[in-house]
Amino acid sequence: MIGAGVKRGTAELAVLSILEEGPLHGYEMARRIEEQTKGALRFTLAALYPMLYRMEQRGWIRGAWEISASGRRKRCYRLTPAGKKKLSPLRKEWAELYGALRRLTKVSHA
Amino acid sequence: MRDWETRVEQHLVGLALEPTERAEVIAELAAHLEESCEEWRKQGMTEEEAARRTLSEVEDWQNLRQRIQNARTKESIMTNRVKQFWLPSLLTLLLTMGLLMLIQLFGPNPWMVARKSGWTLVAPVAVVYLPWLLSLPVIGAMGAFLSSRAGGSRRAVFSSIVFPVLPYLVFFLLALPVMAIFNDRLAHNIMFGALFVGLFAWVLAPGAALLAGGLLAQMFLSRRLDSRRIVSG
Repeated sequence: MIGAGVKRGTAELAVLSILEEGPLHGYEMARRIEEQTKGALRFTLAALYPMLYRMEQRGWIRGAWEISASGRRKRCYRLTPAGKKKLSPLRKEWAELYGALRRLTKVSHA
Repeated sequence: MRDWETRVEQHLVGLALEPTERAEVIAELAAHLEESCEEWRKQGMTEEEAARRTLSEVEDWQNLRQRIQNARTKESIMTNRVKQFWLPSLLTLLLTMGLLMLIQLFGPNPWMVARKSGWTLVAPVAVVYLPWLLSLPVIGAMGAFLSSRAGGSRRAVFSSIVFPVLPYLVFFLLALPVMAIFNDRLAHNIMFGALFVGLFAWVLAPGAALLAGGLLAQMFLSRRLDSRRIVSG
């Protein structure tokens, strides 16, 4: 299980990555992230929405009310061009970080 | 079916947002909780159990209210472009120009670089304010710090650092050639020399000084941010 601190840092990357696949509302977003990370990343409502609102303010995602197939109103989020642009350096940054940590742990276990 | 909107509204009393925005937040959170509760019900829980489990997603409503409020209001007071580019750029410009004016008013006298012909200086003459140039790295560092702290991209940080020399660049690349074309009194034989000397003294040298401080600060800040990210995630 990944610790809470690291999860916080990966949260934005997780949201941007999942929205790259297509627009989603908050609950579905949390469900898919949990499913695709096999439970390693789990977003509660309290963790998810302040982050979504912050990302929306930054212009990375945009939310709009839509009517679902079940007739319910849901706020769907989609990636904006700025969000798409943000995704690739963010991925690179995290790949570098995990690469560095992998090398470090290998060295310390050698 | 539980009225999740009423519940959320009760928990988020004091959420200081515009009424429409507040209603949207409440509706969105209620929709999430409703869906979550239904999911637990599908897994065989009683309605009470499912509701309790759903509500456990929020341990501290007051904290959630505060975080939602911060996320939706603080960042909207100033747009990111203002925080990351315009504010640092205009501050560095103001400081750069203000300091130059003070030095011009109170001294010390500038260093004049020109060819000498007997006792007179021959144009083009470069006027270099050394104390001003020496202070520019600090101003550049301040621009980099403000832009970086606001989460500015590399381009925004770079632009904030060199912004004070842009007016001079525009003057030498646009205004001076235009003046040379339309003003007969300008001596055309010194134009190229004046252009290059001016570009060096007022654009390249101050730009390099601003960049020296700015890039150093940026390097230091990005290292500090990286180490903080590694520690806190």
